[in-house]
Amino acid sequence: MRLITHNMLSCNIKGVTNGFPLRIEAGNVIEKEVDFNPDFIRHMFAKIEWKALVEGARSMGYAELPEDSPDAAVLKSDEPFLKKLHHALLELHLEEGALVCPETGRKFPVNKGIPNMLLHEDEV
Amino acid sequence: MRDIKVKSDSKEFLTSSDEEEEAVQIIESVSIRESSLSVKSTPEIEKKYVHRVYDAIAPHFSSTRFAKWPKVAAFLESLPPGSVILDAGCGNGKYLGLNPSCFFIGCDISHPLIKICSDKGQEVLVADAVNLPYREEFGDAAISIAVLHHLSTENRRKKAIEELVRVVKPGGFVLITVWAAEQEDTSLLTKWTPLSAKYVEEWVGPGSPMNSPRVRNNPFFSLESIPETEVSAKEQKAENSQFIGLESIPESEESTREQKGESIIPETKASIVEQKDENSVEESLEALKKSQQEYFVPWHLPYHRAEVSGASASALASGLAKKDDRKGAVVYNRYYHVFSEGELERLASGVGNAMIVDRFYDKSNWCIVLQKAALNQD
Repeated sequence: MRLITHNMLSCNIKGVTNGFPLRIEAGNVIEKEVDFNPDFIRHMFAKIEWKALVEGARSMGYAELPEDSPDAAVLKSDEPFLKKLHHALLELHLEEGALVCPETGRKFPVNKGIPNMLLHEDEV
Repeated sequence: MRDIKVKSDSKEFLTSSDEEEEAVQIIESVSIRESSLSVKSTPEIEKKYVHRVYDAIAPHFSSTRFAKWPKVAAFLESLPPGSVILDAGCGNGKYLGLNPSCFFIGCDISHPLIKICSDKGQEVLVADAVNLPYREEFGDAAISIAVLHHLSTENRRKKAIEELVRVVKPGGFVLITVWAAEQEDTSLLTKWTPLSAKYVEEWVGPGSPMNSPRVRNNPFFSLESIPETEVSAKEQKAENSQFIGLESIPESEESTREQKGESIIPETKASIVEQKDENSVEESLEALKKSQQEYFVPWHLPYHRAEVSGASASALASGLAKKDDRKGAVVYNRYYHVFSEGELERLASGVGNAMIVDRFYDKSNWCIVLQKAALNQD
């Protein structure tokens, strides 16, 4: 699971109103190189919840992103920044670990890179 | 309780039409039981005849799923570079990555199928298309290819559409395809098992919800006493009478209806119509009509494939699958609700916040493209 996906995932247990972002418990994190596409990263910047990304990256051992969301103007010229964002969003993979609902503490396991977000009968 | 009383009263009147009445009851009772559950709660029939089957046949299924429908490919290729595309019910992931300038995230309820995607390096997770674990509006587009026909109630099919719309951005597109009742190759239909008779057989087995004390003591759920063969005959009768054209009778023309009733609708059916109020008649007809869209579609898993899979051995042992020595295969049944013409549009038009912008029939599938309402600019 990449952080781009983590930035979308939300706990959907019945009654949960604040299931985003899921806290990452990192067991094993790996890196896989992906071709850098600045346009895609700019497009993603508009979508992502910055805090969720920063916290997620940090819990996976990557602390290079600034705490506060940078000004959109940075995206035009600051290639080093775009590359950091690219690395965080696309190149880090949570291989083993868990995603934890911020409201209920329910853990969704991540095994072999695959989050299992299925709910139990009494959670739907 | 009141419904039940009316039902048993009317049965006394209808001695000659008991068979049709009971066929209607079978379907009604199934839908009543389901309505007591959350729309997001997976019915047993889907667990057994969709999830467990795909889990068991995943590698073989995947090896046969490589042809990409040109219309789906065209849709994906039409999306702007950089789009995030969400595939809900991605199966073996054959559409993930089809447009290399976009980013795909797939999910499926079958872990073995998702494992196949993951091994190919695709970004995937295990999740239920009826309850997507995604925050709102993250996707630029979403697709649901051959998924909705595996959901066993209309509410669940509608919920799945609502989920697709929920997770795309304002102005985003959603492509949905489903199997059509109107198959190009009509001979296929003869290979499918119309469901209702099977429904009864499977659903009154031990451990099924139909066997709970509440259901057992309820006169409305009188299914256990009906032998399967009889039910088949009833089903056929019910289907025939519906086929004659009940659905085409205009609601407002009461007298026309009665005349027609005498000429083309069996007498007994007409008297049912008189006994019940308008709504319940509509519901019964709707239920009957629905029943013809419920099928088991076989999947033949060749012995040489089945041998390597422990799932098949346990499926055979539990009766989920059967051996067909003539074909040299383990035969699984998959549950399908095939869509009639216009049904998908009707379902989607009940979903707020999205408009149908395209619809077409392609290779025995009904397909629609929805567009989520754009944000107000002010």
